[in-house]
This record gives sequence, structure tokens and C-alpha cells, in this order.
Amino acid sequence: MTIPSFHLFVQTLILGLLVGGVYALMASGLTLIFGVMRVINVAHGAFLILGAYLTYELFQNFQIDPIASILITMPVFFVIGWILQRYMLSRIANPEKTSVLVTFSLALVMEGLLGIIFQTTARSVTPSYTSEALMFATYRFPVTRLIGFGVALLIILLLYLILQYTNLGRAIRATTQDPRAAQLMGINTSMISAFTFALGVSTAAAGGSLLSIIYSFNPSSQADWIGRTLSIIVLGGMGSIPGALIAALILGVMEQMTAIVITLYWSPIVFYFFLFFTLIIRPQGLMGEIIREKG
Amino acid sequence: MTKIRLPASIWTVGLFLVLLVFPFITKSQYQQHVMVMTLMAAVTASSWNIIGGYTGYTSLGHAAFFGLGGYLVALAHNHFGWHPFISSWFLALIVAAFACVMGWTALRTQGSAFVVVTIAGVFILRLLALNLGDITNGARGLTQPRPGWGGVPWSPELIKIPFHYIMLLLLCLTIFVSWRIRQSKFGMGLIAIREDEGKAESVGIDTMMYKVLAFGVSSYFVAVAGGIYSYFFTFIDPSFVFGIFTSVTMVLMAILGGRGTLWGPVLGAFIMNPLSDWIIGKFGGTQIHLTIFGGILLLVMLFMPQGILPAWTEFLNKRAKARKALTGNPS
Repeated sequence: MTIPSFHLFVQTLILGLLVGGVYALMASGLTLIFGVMRVINVAHGAFLILGAYLTYELFQNFQIDPIASILITMPVFFVIGWILQRYMLSRIANPEKTSVLVTFSLALVMEGLLGIIFQTTARSVTPSYTSEALMFATYRFPVTRLIGFGVALLIILLLYLILQYTNLGRAIRATTQDPRAAQLMGINTSMISAFTFALGVSTAAAGGSLLSIIYSFNPSSQADWIGRTLSIIVLGGMGSIPGALIAALILGVMEQMTAIVITLYWSPIVFYFFLFFTLIIRPQGLMGEIIREKG
Repeated sequence: MTKIRLPASIWTVGLFLVLLVFPFITKSQYQQHVMVMTLMAAVTASSWNIIGGYTGYTSLGHAAFFGLGGYLVALAHNHFGWHPFISSWFLALIVAAFACVMGWTALRTQGSAFVVVTIAGVFILRLLALNLGDITNGARGLTQPRPGWGGVPWSPELIKIPFHYIMLLLLCLTIFVSWRIRQSKFGMGLIAIREDEGKAESVGIDTMMYKVLAFGVSSYFVAVAGGIYSYFFTFIDPSFVFGIFTSVTMVLMAILGGRGTLWGPVLGAFIMNPLSDWIIGKFGGTQIHLTIFGGILLLVMLFMPQGILPAWTEFLNKRAKARKALTGNPS
């Protein structure tokens, strides 16, 4: 246990907030999908890692900048998500009960395939600006995290604008609130589900690209990332994007603080702790509604 | 006096007799080893079935109890010299008590949220096992002395045999308890909770009490199996025992065979465990193993979510009905 100095405290806060922004993007797709479909996409972590590997390959083979590659990987993921929803998830008989096991097994298959294709050595993407940092009044702002934070917030803002101001967004929100009523108003809810799932999965492409420049990864890291993103959306309130943003910032800061005050090895426990106790004490999270499910 | 009708058919008695003489049928160490692991898998799947099948609460957290049982037994063996064949049975009671406390909080959540809480439980225990190095020896795991009795190690040719019989005993006990639960008012209550928890509560079932008890019982046999496992391998690896994959195998076997049935989980274990050994032997590598396991679970969930046994019974019923309709003569 070490009590950090004020300078170290502020520096940790900065790093935590920057990384929290990236977490928010990673979690936004997961919470969006849950909100509309009541499906927890446990394969989300595997999609993040797949996105990271695609970014890695594009960077190694074609020298495409990891941020620019988002423009390629996002549409690809959108199509994958669309196909998965139309031909797999929509077939599940009792989605509220069984979708977790289905997406969970999808995550296992993806982890196994990633391991077969890319081996299990840890990788990371290292563009020229990897170890650069901006200094601002003696505080360090690593460039990769600044970029990650900026890109993440931009994409979340776009997502928010789509949901808030387009007809499609209105249809998605209507389906979130009441699928039956939305259907009666002439909304093709099965199309909306496919679109939402595709949109949610495509945010994982962007999240994966950002992950690849900030962290090292291998196929089995998908379990860590699904743990992190699930904790965030549970704390934020399942289905709430603003909730996910706030929760991501809180958990990002808590994680960095734990790493400083105790050790790096203990920092993941922050997520599981919050996950466990939020579900037990306040199942609706910070900004969500109580999930009523029949057991 | 009511007669207790054992769940015995020609199949189960036959299976039991084969298992009883199995170490004398084959002298192959490999086959004996696979059989011990299959029996263990059947224990964990049957035990999981009490909460996951009868009660309908899909726990992906049972690896926690398996690992905890293994660690307690290994620690007691190394520090106090308690023999795992004896200590497993009562140290598992501590695990079951822990499971009741954990269940008392976790079982407030339902459906998907419960699955997520149980996953988080496993991750927390793994982190503790990895980081409390003074007790658990961290990522290097715990080793135990070579299996034996009274200071005399068992000879390498016969070493699988004691494990075969203790696992068989454990499996018989697990199936017996699972069967008794299913016949009892308690079991009816659990099934009522699975079908409609709200209605179950309204007819006067103390649902929380029932769920916690089912969770505790279901953790007990898994913990005993974990204890014996740690002695069988004389080594326990935190990333494996507290791995989500350990939980998934139990769930997969129970679902494949038929969750909520008495024999389904056993059938699932006898299919999946030899298959998984064959896969490892043929292709090697955990990655292919992971892909195939995940793929099978995915296919079962999509195309046969009720499992093999219920599907088979349904098929037999349909055929009988069709035959009756054809002959017009109920026989």
C-alpha cells in the first residue's frame, strides 16, 4: 500500500480518464445491443480482439495506420454482425434465457480460431507515435491514449446523434422501450434488431483498433475484455449509453488508482468487484431501469 | 412402509457392473486415466444439474467450487498431512457453506444477470489464487506428494485404481442424491422455481431458501471432485481450475445429455470426455479443443437445446403414438 503524492494522484486521474473514454466506446456497443434485444453479447470481447488482430495485420502488411484502419474494419464488422443476427441469434427459441450461452460459445469458438490463425503470442500495434507523450504543466498525456480518447468520444457522439436525431435512431429507441408497441407502429423490429446488433459489433471494430495501440493482446485476452466491458455496462445500467460512459470513466480511474495504490496485479479486481456488487445491491446500475426477467 | 424404487434399469445396472470391473478389463494406463476423468466429469455435470437443470439457474461459476475444493485439500495435505481421500469429503462442506453465502447474494439476480455474476465470482477467485502467493504459491500452483497410503506410495502400475473406485463411489452418491432430490418435495419446489418463480413463491415456496440450498448441494459434489482431482494430478493450476473453461465443460455436458434429467449429465460426460481426449490426442493444442468444444455447445444450443435424452424420449413417444394410430390397437 502506498499513498500517492498529489502529483501522482492527478497524473493517475488523467490516465484513468483517458483510458476510461476508450472503455466507454468498447462498452457502448454491448449496452446498445442489450437495450434493444435483451441479449448479452458475451462474444463482444472476442470481437474486440478480432478487431485488434485485423488492425495488426493491416498495419504489418499494408502499413495502414491503426486509426485509419477503423474505416475498413467497421464496415466489415457491420456485415458480420448483420449475418450473425439474421442467421443465428434470431433463431434462438428463448433468447432471454439462452442467448448468454449461445454468445458465450461463440466467444469460445472465436478465441480458438484466433489462436489457430494468429498463435497465442502477445501482440501490439506500434505506429511511430507509440511512445510519444505531450507534456502539459508537468503532466504526461501519452499520444496513443489521447488519440484513443478522442476517437472514442467522436464515435460515441456519432452513435448518440444517430440514436437521437435520425428516423432509424427513433425506431431503435422505440424498440428498446416497447418492442410490441413499436411493431404495431409499423416498425420492422426484426430488421431493427439486425441493424442494432450489426452497429454494436461494428463499434467493437473501432474499440479493437484503439485497444491494439494501447494494450498488448492475444486471443485469450478476450476474457479480460468481456469482464471489463460487462462490468461497465452493469454499473452504468444495462442498455444506457450515457450510463456506460460515466461508468467507464469511473472504472478507468479506479483501475489506474488500484494499480498505483496496491499493485498492477490487483487492478482487475476493481471490475469484478463492481460487477458482482452492482448486480446484487443495485441491479439497475447507475442509470438503467430494473431488468425484469422471469427466472 | 413405502418401498424406495431405485432408478435402476437394465442399462444402469449394466453400466454400473462394467464400471465396477473396468480396471480389470483394461490394463491400459491411458484408458484407466480417461475413465477416472470421465467419472469425475459425470460427477460435476450431475452436481451442476441440481441448480442448473432442476432449478434452471445457469451457473458458469462452478469452477470456483471445483478449484476451492482442490486448493483446500492440497493445503490440508501439505500442511497437516490429511489424506485427500478422507479430507475431500469434509473440506467440501466448507466449500458448500461458502457457496451458500455466495448463493445468498448471487441468487438475487436472475436470468442473464445470474450468469454474469457467477462468471465474476470465478474471476475473483482466480485473481485471489494468483495474487495471494504466500498461501497459494501464485501462478506456479500447488503440488502434492505422490499418491499413497500411510507413507507408502502406490505403485505406478496400479495408481489409477484407487482413484477409479473413489470417483465411482462419488458418482453413485451424486446420482443418488440427485435422484432423491428429484423425487422429493424439495425437488418439486426447485422445478416449480424453474417453471415460474413468481407462482412458486405465491404457493408458499420459500424460493430463496430453496435456491440457496440447491446451490450449496450442487457445489458440494463438485468440491469433493475438485479435491480428489488435485490429488490425482498431485498438482493444481489456478488458471485451469479457476478457468471459465472448467465451468463450461460441466454446463456443456449437462446440456448435451439433457439438463434437468437424472441421467442426461452422465450421458453427456460419457460422450464429451472421451471425445475431448480423442481431440487432444488427435489434433493436440488447446486452441482446436476450444474451437470444437465451443462449436458443439453452439450447435446444441441452436438445434437441440433440450439435450439428447429428452429428444430421444420424445422420439420414442412419437413413434409409439404413430404405431398406435396405425394399428388402432393400444398395446
